[in-house]
Amino acid sequence: MSAAAHVEPVDQLYAETRELRLNGFLLFMVSDLVLFSSFIFAYLYLRNSGQGWPPPGMSRLDVTFAALNSVVLFGSGATMHFALENWKHGHFMKYTGWLIATILLGIWFLCGQGWEYWHIHAGWANSGIFGASFFTLTGMHGFHVFCGVCYLTILLLQSVHGRYTQQKFFGLTAGTLYWHFVDVIWVVLFSIFYLL
Amino acid sequence: MAVATAQVHAGGIAEHVHPEPQGFIRKYIFSIDHKIIGIQYIITAYLFMVLGGLLAELIRVQLMNPAGTFVKPDTFNELYTVHGSTMVWLVIIPMLTGGFGNFVFPLQIGARDVAFPWLNMLSFWLFPPAGLMLYASFLMGAPVAGWTEYPPMSLQGAAGTSMWCAAIFLIGVSSTLTGINFLVTLLKMRAPGMTYTRMPLFCWGQFATAPLLMIATTALGAALAALFMERQFGVPFYDPTKGGSPVLWQHMFWFYSHPAVYIMILPAFGMISEIFPTFARKPIFGYKMIAFSSVAIALLGFMVWAHHMFTSGLAPWLQLPFMILTMFIAIPTGIKIFSWVATLWGGKIQFTTPMMFAIGFIATFTCGGLTGVYLAAVPFDLHAHGTYFIVGHLHYVLVGGSLMGIFAGTYFWFPKMTGRLMNEFWGKVHFWLFFIGFNGTFLPMHWLGLLGMPRRVAVYDPQFQFWNVFESVASFLMTAGILIFFINALWSIRNGKRSGANPWRARTLEWQIPSPPPYYNFKQIPAVLGAPYDFAEPLPYGGLEGELDQSVPAPVPAGAH
Repeated sequence: MSAAAHVEPVDQLYAETRELRLNGFLLFMVSDLVLFSSFIFAYLYLRNSGQGWPPPGMSRLDVTFAALNSVVLFGSGATMHFALENWKHGHFMKYTGWLIATILLGIWFLCGQGWEYWHIHAGWANSGIFGASFFTLTGMHGFHVFCGVCYLTILLLQSVHGRYTQQKFFGLTAGTLYWHFVDVIWVVLFSIFYLL
Repeated sequence: MAVATAQVHAGGIAEHVHPEPQGFIRKYIFSIDHKIIGIQYIITAYLFMVLGGLLAELIRVQLMNPAGTFVKPDTFNELYTVHGSTMVWLVIIPMLTGGFGNFVFPLQIGARDVAFPWLNMLSFWLFPPAGLMLYASFLMGAPVAGWTEYPPMSLQGAAGTSMWCAAIFLIGVSSTLTGINFLVTLLKMRAPGMTYTRMPLFCWGQFATAPLLMIATTALGAALAALFMERQFGVPFYDPTKGGSPVLWQHMFWFYSHPAVYIMILPAFGMISEIFPTFARKPIFGYKMIAFSSVAIALLGFMVWAHHMFTSGLAPWLQLPFMILTMFIAIPTGIKIFSWVATLWGGKIQFTTPMMFAIGFIATFTCGGLTGVYLAAVPFDLHAHGTYFIVGHLHYVLVGGSLMGIFAGTYFWFPKMTGRLMNEFWGKVHFWLFFIGFNGTFLPMHWLGLLGMPRRVAVYDPQFQFWNVFESVASFLMTAGILIFFINALWSIRNGKRSGANPWRARTLEWQIPSPPPYYNFKQIPAVLGAPYDFAEPLPYGGLEGELDQSVPAPVPAGAH
């Protein structure tokens, strides 16, 4: 048997394994989405049955800073997209650059959120159900961003060590999907907390 | 060697064979083989059934006396709370999904394993610790607000309530992972020719259940996390004095727990649908209707949760749609019941133990289903809510439905798991003790409830004593039946009659390979040429010829990837 006949079926194995993983990952994101949706439902439910919005004695959330911070997160979505595209086209250096940019923007967003918690929303800790909803949901989202930053860092190390090839890079696809997922969740959270 | 590897790999993941693990621990404890994991689930769930059953009997002993002197009222609250939580989360759900689901459906679709074997092992190993955590809550004051744990009572409960949250959360994670795993397996790993409408109906049961596990359980996770945070850190969600809403918990809880009712019954429907054609020696009636009605039930299941909350101050304009949608569920369920009866009609019925449980299932589940339609009607529900009528209804569905299905499935697939049959005589003794005891225990609850006996109270009006003593005695019969079952199962593992590959002359794929199946399941992935239930035709599978022939070599393991 020639080497070619041996290699081809193994690639089929890879292709099918990748498809399983992709499907499993998508389903994982669906159930994660339900987790967020449940808390969002809880927030909207309490908001509509409570004392009104913003809660008595509180001012509305400060949109400006959060909007700037959102731009950072959405920008990181774009850089992640560029990173994956460059990987697909074999531009390893550009890929590395964009991925590092993504990780740094993610960290920037987290720092921004921490600063915001500390300076702008400190009073919200005692605002009952609204503080509870706000910190639970944004905190859960922040935790997802934190996990994403860790995940992307691992991907960076793995790709530097040659874990992925131009044909086999499911980890990078999953990382990109996850990062966009976290972005989309933030769109919803930003809308319902800051704009609504 | 390279040639052989290439041939084995020809079909991609479906043909891929890992080397069989050696050594007791990797083989039987931390196994990634779906069959072993399935059996692990089943054994663990039966162990928890013993504990949950013990709690049930303590409840029944307490209720023999209207003054309730056997245990203190607080202890009584702990008993029914942990009993309910055990039976729902530690027995029926793991048994039907992780247990029978894992063992049976990958064999039925002609796969070598589930899509993510390691994830499967993780799902299982989250389950026993969660169960132990639930029972550890007795050490710190067990939860007392019933398995539904409505606030504000659950907010005031002892420290064990937080333990309960954590335990159920873990079980939820396990269920979610199982759901993802099963759904991907069913979507992507069916053997060539195994189209959706050729899948055995048990697979359809799992196919309808997996999305429920995946989606609904996550909503419960959110509700539990919020309850845990409120109890431990005072983050207000449910406490009305802090602006929260106890009704919010009910919405989130029932958004999970109503679909969970279908998680607990759809796989049992699937089991019954395998057993009827096999022992009536007749094709299943209305295959597609049974299959699609499972999906219809699963979809409708997400739209009816508030029918549990008619007495919780739900707006009247919401009550009507929830009432009507709930009644709609009787339609797909009725389609199933009539299809099963039509399958029996004119069949050549063999009254084996699994068949008797399956027939008993129709009788008792139909009763439970009918009282479900009563309770869907708002005016009736306002009268019966919080009484023993509810207790009777839910046990007719969960014991008369799910548990009878579990017993039927155990007798049916026991030979596939062990290579030996269970004793038929003692199986029938089990059936009759259980069936009579079951009806004696739960039927009187209906009229007790209509007369106004409230559930979840340690004492009751002395006028109800006769029927309560009657129920308790009947429940001892039921327990005796289950004890006989356990003895029968343990005895049969070593001493049962050898079953051979296919003792029931069934036609689905798992029966065409040796019992117990080898590690790799199929020597060669079979080709599927038709639906499995047409008893007049030859078997609709290609490539199975060598399965039972010892001289045909087993597939070559290809190592990890």
